Amino acid sequence: MRFSPEVGKGNRFLFLGNEALVRGCLEAGVGFIAQYPGTPTSDIGETFKDILEQQPALSESIVHHWSANEAVATSSCAGAAWAGIRALNPMKHVGMNVASDALHAITLAGPNPGALVLVVGSDPGSLGSHHEQNERFFTWMHHVPMIEPHSPQECHDWIKLAFDLSEKYDLPIYFRTSTRSAHSRGIVDIDDIAVAPKSKGEFFRSTDKYCSLPPYAINNHVRLYERIERVTNDVPTFGLNTLYPGDAKIGIISYGIPFGYAMEALHQLGMDDVPVLKLGMTHPLNDDEIVTFIKDLDQVVIVEELEPFLQVNVREIAQKNRIIIPIIGGDAFPKFNEFSTGLVASVLAGITGKQPSPRIQESKDQFDSFKAKIPSRFPTFCPGCPERAMLMAIKKATNDLANPKTIIAGDIGCYVMGLNPPLRISDFIICMSGGLSAAIGLSKKTYDKIIALIGDSTLLHTGLPVIVDAIANDANVLLVVFDNRWVAMTGHQPPVGKGRIQFEPLIQSMGVQWIKTVDPFEVDKTVRVIQDGLNRDGLKVILCQRECTLMARRVYDAERRKLKADKTPYACDTFQVYNCVLCEHCTQELSCPAMRRMIDEETGCTVMAIDEDRCNFCSVCYQICPHRRIKKTAINPHLETKLKLRRIEPQ
Amino acid sequence: MSQLNDGNDDTRILNIVIVGTAGQGVITLKRLIEFIAAEEGYEGIFGSEMHGLAQREGAISSHCRLQKKKSENIRENIFSPTICYGDADLVIGFEPVEILRNAGQFASDKTTFVVNERTIPPILVTAGKETYPSLDEIKEMLVQYSHDPGHVASLNATELAITELDDAQKMNMIMFGFAMVTGLLDFTLETCETVVRRELRDADANMAAIRLGMERGRDVLKK
Repeated sequence: MRFSPEVGKGNRFLFLGNEALVRGCLEAGVGFIAQYPGTPTSDIGETFKDILEQQPALSESIVHHWSANEAVATSSCAGAAWAGIRALNPMKHVGMNVASDALHAITLAGPNPGALVLVVGSDPGSLGSHHEQNERFFTWMHHVPMIEPHSPQECHDWIKLAFDLSEKYDLPIYFRTSTRSAHSRGIVDIDDIAVAPKSKGEFFRSTDKYCSLPPYAINNHVRLYERIERVTNDVPTFGLNTLYPGDAKIGIISYGIPFGYAMEALHQLGMDDVPVLKLGMTHPLNDDEIVTFIKDLDQVVIVEELEPFLQVNVREIAQKNRIIIPIIGGDAFPKFNEFSTGLVASVLAGITGKQPSPRIQESKDQFDSFKAKIPSRFPTFCPGCPERAMLMAIKKATNDLANPKTIIAGDIGCYVMGLNPPLRISDFIICMSGGLSAAIGLSKKTYDKIIALIGDSTLLHTGLPVIVDAIANDANVLLVVFDNRWVAMTGHQPPVGKGRIQFEPLIQSMGVQWIKTVDPFEVDKTVRVIQDGLNRDGLKVILCQRECTLMARRVYDAERRKLKADKTPYACDTFQVYNCVLCEHCTQELSCPAMRRMIDEETGCTVMAIDEDRCNFCSVCYQICPHRRIKKTAINPHLETKLKLRRIEPQ
Repeated sequence: MSQLNDGNDDTRILNIVIVGTAGQGVITLKRLIEFIAAEEGYEGIFGSEMHGLAQREGAISSHCRLQKKKSENIRENIFSPTICYGDADLVIGFEPVEILRNAGQFASDKTTFVVNERTIPPILVTAGKETYPSLDEIKEMLVQYSHDPGHVASLNATELAITELDDAQKMNMIMFGFAMVTGLLDFTLETCETVVRRELRDADANMAAIRLGMERGRDVLKK
């Protein structure tokens, strides 16, 4: 309903930033969306997918792709834009590293006659990413205008403007959200879906525009400077930058979510008279706008997360215009982690000598008094995860990675969580497909055995060329491919080509001689296959084939509900611990979160138990308990209707 | 000098923190509260969710900020989707140590805690390498904020969900019912029902869970 053309101007909805952005795209007539999933932008694609399912007529004019990787997605979007379509390209911050190569050439050419808007989801605080990175500097390098929204309303309004600007200036627009702005909910006044997306456009040949190579390379570079200069001059006309006036001699410049922290911090410090310049467009800056704001101030504080970006630019403008005042930013604030109102209030208090709310200190003191007593909680594999079972099998097959000495090349996906204790199985993690890549070098320069891990989606993202490289260079590596049929880490998007790509013939055709498929829930067999693989030369591949348990469990629960509703009795297996001797084998080797350490009420002894409501019946603990104290109980074993987790989604 | 708007007028901001572990339904409850507030005509609604570690046993917290009427002084309104240290009015905790971890910095003398007693031990506790504090110890730490035991109320909502409703996932709605009877959430049950029917599947079961939470919550608060 919220995304339907039947609702429009005069309606108001509660939207997440990402949802507001999708609604804005529909109103702007977006015709093509391509992305590789990545937090905090995955749900943009999911929302489009739902809309297209619910309003099939829209599929005529709107196309959504889950792409193989970010560079493919960006170039796909450029292709659509060059046919005159408005194209949207969401990605996470590190996705921009991958997309950057494509983006540079696309920016030189320009997206006209259509439009290209990138949504880049940054993640200060690394709330849903492998690391933090200030990718704003790409906008500087590529000369791409950047818009940073603060509220869901701005996500909605400004994404529409972004398409207009992209079309008008023949430049991609870098629409930068953050985990907080993308995933905060607020009230949004919507507009009509007025612009109908074109079902097909037309490509007009223009070699000098689209081929930024000599002799056209320099021309397009010149044309790029002209385009970004026009934007720079026109910034004040976009209505993206807002002044919150005040008489104080100290002023704040901020943007996006940090602006929210700054406003509340100022109010808390009793500093409502401080003028605040909120930048909606953070690149390029317009000199006059900045000078007008700072020229009568004694001091400017830039509130921005991660590496100083605005601070450097504002200082340059001040220097050019001979304004000599302190411009404080990264020198007073942390240049890492996300900010909060409390943090900004504390730093501003330090700068101005004001007192923050006493509650901030009281809360901190209280928290500090018991902080040490809080047990750590790492994200880990879900109960019954096939990846945990596989990593445990690797440890068993190598005597805890020691005999033979084995290096584990980790990668990006759920299996990164293997690095956390007590499993501790990932010796390094670089980037998508960086694990097998580094394993190639290690295999040439160490005597150790090397196991590289990769998921199905990561393999299709960038892993295939690495297999080619490993084969071509005779790397001695055992590659484990987790074929769980989902991009699980980012919330279960389908991997590209889901169901159509068969890994075994694909990998064989690349020249891999030894490839075996295992079900990690068959522990002994899996261990034997790993040992066999480690004893062979060259690139060996094990396909670890088991559907993500969360998804298999959903199917299981749906079947169970149906059987219950029909009052059909069914057979199933459950697992319990009896007379545990607390040998700790399961907790150390498997560390399944459905296990619980508790006091046996009868004996008073500490024992392990299985939380029945959390167990997903993978049976791995039952198979590995050295004292056979985990028992499988078959419920209604005589019945033909038996419920169990499916191994893999039927094709 | 605190300029926080602590008055009782309609422009006062109500700050709610909901904490638990991934998969417990933290975000579902946060959304429900926001939709109910919208239905009740609140003018200021802004709150941060967490995505990205869905169902991977990690710690999850959501902030939810509500304001009935916007203030004429624009600087008194909500600008941040997360709350300031010490500024939580209500903490709804689905898991005891997660309250300490993710609500501790946001609590102060004004904070009321509703606690689900069921623990989800982190894997290092299960492995015997770290210790999980006792429930009494945790409650004692929470009472320290206000020195008022009346500010900390608990019940075993997960056990109730399993024994009374045959569905552990209904714990979050029981906790919502529990939070409702603290009086801090100014929603009518009718609005709750309208929104539950619109936004959630299995509305009857969810309403039953909310009512159960209200009933048992009242018993707890009477003591």
